[in-house]
Amino acid sequence: MLNTIACFKWVMDEADIKSDPKTHELIFDRVGYKISDYDRNAIEEAVRLQEKHGGTVVGVTVAPPGAKQCLKDALSRGPEKACFINDQSFTDLEPGQTASILAAAVSKMEYDLIICGEGSSDLYAQQVGPALAEKLGIPCATYVNKLTYVEEENKIIAERKLDDGIEVVCIQLPALVTVLPEINTPRIPSLKQVLGAAKKPVDNIGLDSLEGTFSPCLKTTGILAATMERRRLRFGTEAEDIRKVVEALLKEGVIA
Amino acid sequence: MAEIWIFAENREQTLELLNAGRSLAGGLGAKVAAFALDGKLAEEYINHGADEVLVLPSLAEDQPLESYVSVIAEEARREKPDIFLIGGTQRGKEMAARIAARLNTGLCSGCTALRLDEKKQLVMERMLFGGAAVQTVVCTTRPQMAAVPPRTFEQASPAKGREGKVRELPPVPGTPVTVVKRTPKVRESVDVTEAKIVVCVGRGVEKKEDIALARELAQVLGGEVGCSRPVAEELQWLPEDVYIGISGKKIKPELYIGVGVAGQIQHVTGMRDSKVVLAINRDENAPIFDAADYGIVGDLYDAVPKLIKELRNALKI
Repeated sequence: MLNTIACFKWVMDEADIKSDPKTHELIFDRVGYKISDYDRNAIEEAVRLQEKHGGTVVGVTVAPPGAKQCLKDALSRGPEKACFINDQSFTDLEPGQTASILAAAVSKMEYDLIICGEGSSDLYAQQVGPALAEKLGIPCATYVNKLTYVEEENKIIAERKLDDGIEVVCIQLPALVTVLPEINTPRIPSLKQVLGAAKKPVDNIGLDSLEGTFSPCLKTTGILAATMERRRLRFGTEAEDIRKVVEALLKEGVIA
Repeated sequence: MAEIWIFAENREQTLELLNAGRSLAGGLGAKVAAFALDGKLAEEYINHGADEVLVLPSLAEDQPLESYVSVIAEEARREKPDIFLIGGTQRGKEMAARIAARLNTGLCSGCTALRLDEKKQLVMERMLFGGAAVQTVVCTTRPQMAAVPPRTFEQASPAKGREGKVRELPPVPGTPVTVVKRTPKVRESVDVTEAKIVVCVGRGVEKKEDIALARELAQVLGGEVGCSRPVAEELQWLPEDVYIGISGKKIKPELYIGVGVAGQIQHVTGMRDSKVVLAINRDENAPIFDAADYGIVGDLYDAVPKLIKELRNALKI
């Protein structure tokens, strides 16, 4: 029996974000939302462990009340329950705040293992997982691409894929891991799962039931589209065009 | 006196951060202290700009590097540095996040630029939305923390006659995470971050064998072959060492040539600092063309052989 919490974040789809070519301000007019890419791997891993060892999977998120539709999306991916920690003020949270809010809610829940994605696809700060472990006072392993639960000893063996090689670590539960996208391929929810998701229970947790204060430490002083000065010249594949490209590269002095 | 602290898991990055730390120290009138994993590095760090070197104790065989979090956080709690820069390798990012959580302070991870404003606050930049935007942040608590990716700064240059203190830190207590096995990475391929010319293979390349075409192009130019993330991770046609992007290698070559690369923002973030960009793609709407100086719109199987031929002529190979 393994009780797992899978954390997920509801994020803007970065592919929908446009920018004003003159002011470089970002335009969010037609932006769609999604479950952050690597959090799908986190949910999938929790569900796979449950299929093998039994127990429960709860999906947990911190968001403003308007993000409610994320619950159905997350629940269709396998967790039997969602925990929706929401408040009007939970917008543009910095990673440290998200970790503290999660910790305040999760510390009242029963769990053996917490799984987070490697980082979110909007901020990609890669802080919430390890910071949450610290706030809860439990050990963690980051960048995990293979995870095994050893039932009889109540511990996990996690294979971490790092810049300098593979490191396999052993941790007694409770613990937290952050997972890499290659740990699994998330299933596409079936129609039955999508329909079933609406019937699954959701715990609504408001700010007033959380202990602690969650003030920011960082102040954003600006957000602008990343700009790049490029010539953006177009050519075809005719011999003449290719010759022009080669001449240009020679002139730039980048080939010799 | 205000202090700037530096921790990185290896010598190269410590020297890079010493460079960044020294230039901030000038503006602040601050001292720079660097952590060293080995006492033998102390003298070198002092020569490269450290006023103090904090030597970390050695770890037990089965302790991961991250076990230093408790010692470092404890030291920071006592000494209260003003700024704390950490080398943003994977381990470094985890450690930075945990240290920031213990100290209840703000951390800018993936920090790509640092400067001081008129109030001598540290102004930090980082990428958002997979690299589509740049966010500027300041930290209202202390220490102001940043995790800085490798190769963001040049290494500090040594100076003669510098002096500094060396201090040994207390031993690390037992830790709950034990290492059962380590497999160092076998370097199969060359370092794409060092190459002057990089030919990058994207999903537009249809078969693994066709990478030979990109290799030939790279060979003619004396360059190396890299790829986009799916080519390494999903298709596994090329080693993960050579994939370019926000979560992979960041390259700054003289010339980048994208062969069948669509140019997702996550990839562009890894090559945006290339001096000149040439892109070959069949889809005229591919985002890579916005990131390119020269774009060849057409079938790569038609364009690349022609390009190789033309280059051979022009370079007289």
